[in-house]
Amino acid sequence: MKPKTLLSALAVTIAISAPAFAAPKVGAPAPAFTATDINGKTHALSDYKGKTVVLEWHNPECPFVKKHYDSGNMQALQKSATSDGVVWLTINTSAEGKQGHLTPQAAKDLLAAQKAAPSAYLLDTDGKVGRLYEAKTTPHMFVIDPKGTLVYMGAIDDKPTANPDDIKTAKNYVTAALASVKAGQPVADSATKPYGCSVKYN
Amino acid sequence: MLKTVSLAAAIVVAALSPVLANPVQRPHTTVGLVAETASVAPGKPLTLALTMTPQEKWHTYWKNPGDSGMETTVTWDLPPGFSAGDLEYPTPGRLPFGGELVNFGYEGPSTLLVTLTPPADLAPGSTVPITARAAWLVCDDQQCVPEDAELKLTLPVGDGAIDPANRDLFARARAAMPTPVDWPVRFNTLDDRFTLEMPWALPETGIEQVLFYPVEDGLISYTATQDAMVMNGTLRLTTKAGYKPDAATLSGILTVKLAGAPKPDAFFITGERDVELPALLPPGKVITSGGLGDGHGGTAGTGAGGAGADGSAAPGAISLPLALGSALLGGLLLNLMPCVFPILSLKALSLARAGESARGGRQEALAYTGGVLLTMGLLGGLLLALRAGGEAVGWAFHLQDPRMVALLALLMVAIGLNLAGVFEITTRLAGAGQSLASSGGAKGAFWTGALAVLVATPCTAPFMAAALGATLALPPALGMAIYLALGLGMALPFLALGYVAPLRRLLPRPGAWMDTFRRVLAFPMFATALWLFWIVGRQVGLDAMVAGLAVALLMALALWLVGRAQETGRPMRLGWALAALLIGVTGGLAAPRLGSADAAAGENAGTRLASGTLTAEPFSDAALDTLLASGTPTFVYFTADWCVTCKLNERAALERPQVAEAFREAGVAVLVGDWTRRDDTIAAVLRRYGRDGVPLYLFFPKGADRDQPQVLPQILTPPLLIETVA
Repeated sequence: MKPKTLLSALAVTIAISAPAFAAPKVGAPAPAFTATDINGKTHALSDYKGKTVVLEWHNPECPFVKKHYDSGNMQALQKSATSDGVVWLTINTSAEGKQGHLTPQAAKDLLAAQKAAPSAYLLDTDGKVGRLYEAKTTPHMFVIDPKGTLVYMGAIDDKPTANPDDIKTAKNYVTAALASVKAGQPVADSATKPYGCSVKYN
Repeated sequence: MLKTVSLAAAIVVAALSPVLANPVQRPHTTVGLVAETASVAPGKPLTLALTMTPQEKWHTYWKNPGDSGMETTVTWDLPPGFSAGDLEYPTPGRLPFGGELVNFGYEGPSTLLVTLTPPADLAPGSTVPITARAAWLVCDDQQCVPEDAELKLTLPVGDGAIDPANRDLFARARAAMPTPVDWPVRFNTLDDRFTLEMPWALPETGIEQVLFYPVEDGLISYTATQDAMVMNGTLRLTTKAGYKPDAATLSGILTVKLAGAPKPDAFFITGERDVELPALLPPGKVITSGGLGDGHGGTAGTGAGGAGADGSAAPGAISLPLALGSALLGGLLLNLMPCVFPILSLKALSLARAGESARGGRQEALAYTGGVLLTMGLLGGLLLALRAGGEAVGWAFHLQDPRMVALLALLMVAIGLNLAGVFEITTRLAGAGQSLASSGGAKGAFWTGALAVLVATPCTAPFMAAALGATLALPPALGMAIYLALGLGMALPFLALGYVAPLRRLLPRPGAWMDTFRRVLAFPMFATALWLFWIVGRQVGLDAMVAGLAVALLMALALWLVGRAQETGRPMRLGWALAALLIGVTGGLAAPRLGSADAAAGENAGTRLASGTLTAEPFSDAALDTLLASGTPTFVYFTADWCVTCKLNERAALERPQVAEAFREAGVAVLVGDWTRRDDTIAAVLRRYGRDGVPLYLFFPKGADRDQPQVLPQILTPPLLIETVA
């Protein structure tokens, strides 16, 4: 084999060997993503550098999501967070034909009916963002600090049931994480087991 | 009118519900509460069964439901003084979902058990009302529905005797539970890898699947494949770590499935972290299970591709340039191994002897390199294709099948015999009486290169572990690059000789000594054959190894005949035909032995029972009755070749000399029932003693009758057995 060919082959292989993609990790930079919302506007995580961001995985037909929406719990969380300057992104990864899939108009109608107040509702039908964050359940919550570091990932609270009565006695991990970020302190429960229905990937 | 009637009917049904409160049918699940005993005895714990039957294609969940889902919970309403233990779950199955998640649960009916402890001061003649409020999640592949039900059961206070009507239900439920064991299990997490290790007395032969289901969440990734290895009396399992792997202790279910088993054996283990435990597997045979497919390594549509479906970085985090470099170096070093050294040195000497022209030398060197790279590429490609197809193979995959190992060993013997001069390879170019390594020209060099790779493969595995391990987690193109680097390293000395004239001049002048040298080189080849036959012996057993040696002997005879035909100038065809006939016949006779691990296991089991420490007779009801009638204390056990628990107990307890001694002293007769083929006669006997499967250990003391055995626990120890028969 000619030395030149060998060298260039080696160079190419070294170039190709990009580091294998790492799973989301608390304490590491949150994976960058772009997605389109129900109004056709594109959002990138980098747009919100300098702000705290909450990601909420959503499926309107999942009993665990309904637990938090029918009771008004999620809407209250969204309002309180956004009024504090937090960017709240609700993400729908249900593929077409799967449970929970929404067209932009259906999503708008649902948000209005439920009086939900996210900063934006993102449609992730091809599952790109879901896979980046390894979203397993609906709801599955992530909190990202203003520096872009992932500081919380997991369940919305510590009572993994579909019973709305459990909300008032549950410890809400998202509220706790947001309070810690605001106070500039490390988040105590930074990674918990998420609960809910499985995300309906394509 | 119709509306009123249906409303009235609904009210009546609702009012009657407490009476119809067991079993309860919900939209997607039917649940029931059953007691093992017909009455409650004061102070005597009893077992309740919660039966759950989901609709077809729906499933419920294990204690740790996996990536999503929810465990089943029960809230009890019991009379004062009663306490209820935790829910005991049967061994779950893996339920991959949507290509991205894995859950643990039950796709059909499952029965959970609970122990209820009554107080000692129960008033006789009273009744015990038991209410269980169960809540669970039942899902199919489209949706999930949380359901709940209130189950009521009322039992009288009495003698707490077992209800024969429910015997089968509880036998099946217990058979589905993992066996609790107290093995010293250690685990560790390092760099994104989780490892579990425990002592393991059985060989790896026949193990098809090993899986670990943790109770605690966050320790491992549920979608990743799990690699297991049995070596030096230890079972080690590694997989990708989870998002919170810092626990100090763990608990969970380890399942091991042997070939032929209807379902895996399951053990409930607890373990402690050992920070010294390495997170990688040493080189050797790996059994890959789990992942997002149906239990095989490697599956489509997971994004990362190949068998490393979890997309993690290569185990050990060896970087690609380093892997390429060490592959190159490894290939270079291969030339010194007894497999390759003879071929390389003879080829090099043939260069010198023939007094090649500079151009001829370069051509031969390139042809040799071509042969090496092509063969290496083919082997590597085959390996990658097998892995992509879901086979659990590692680099030494061709060394996993004893028939392949035996074939390689025979090849080594043949080459050794050729080098020793027993017969010659003749080509039209070289004329008569050349050794195979000196066939001339570029064509000969190409085939020598190919042959070199083939005989080198057994020698690569031991010291190429890190680089070759890296290939398994890389995309196929990069894995292939590493194999080619290995080939290039192997061909380098010869390339150097071909291109660098001064090197050629360093080669010793040809002479008579070369003939002796060639014969001496036969011995490294025989040594390699010896090593390979040893591997066959370890893999399949002594008899298979001797069968292989017998084939080698006959092959040597055949090749000698060929050599004689060559010497005396007789027609070549006769010699080769005779050789082919001899090899064919003996190979045909020996092959079944070599291929069958079961045969070996069967033989071993036979010899263990017959000439091992415990003398046992085959079980039959007639034999049992005869022994019992004559007042002989009798130990009866039922086993199967595919039953891991059975084999572990045999290894750890039944085959111990002190146990055999104790049995002899107490005059205990032993009967063993083999349920390997799962025949109905033995199944009926197992059911008679309330069991649904193997193992089963029964001791009939002197004077006992057939229905009153002492039933021993699922896990035996020598002290337990000695104490039982004393």
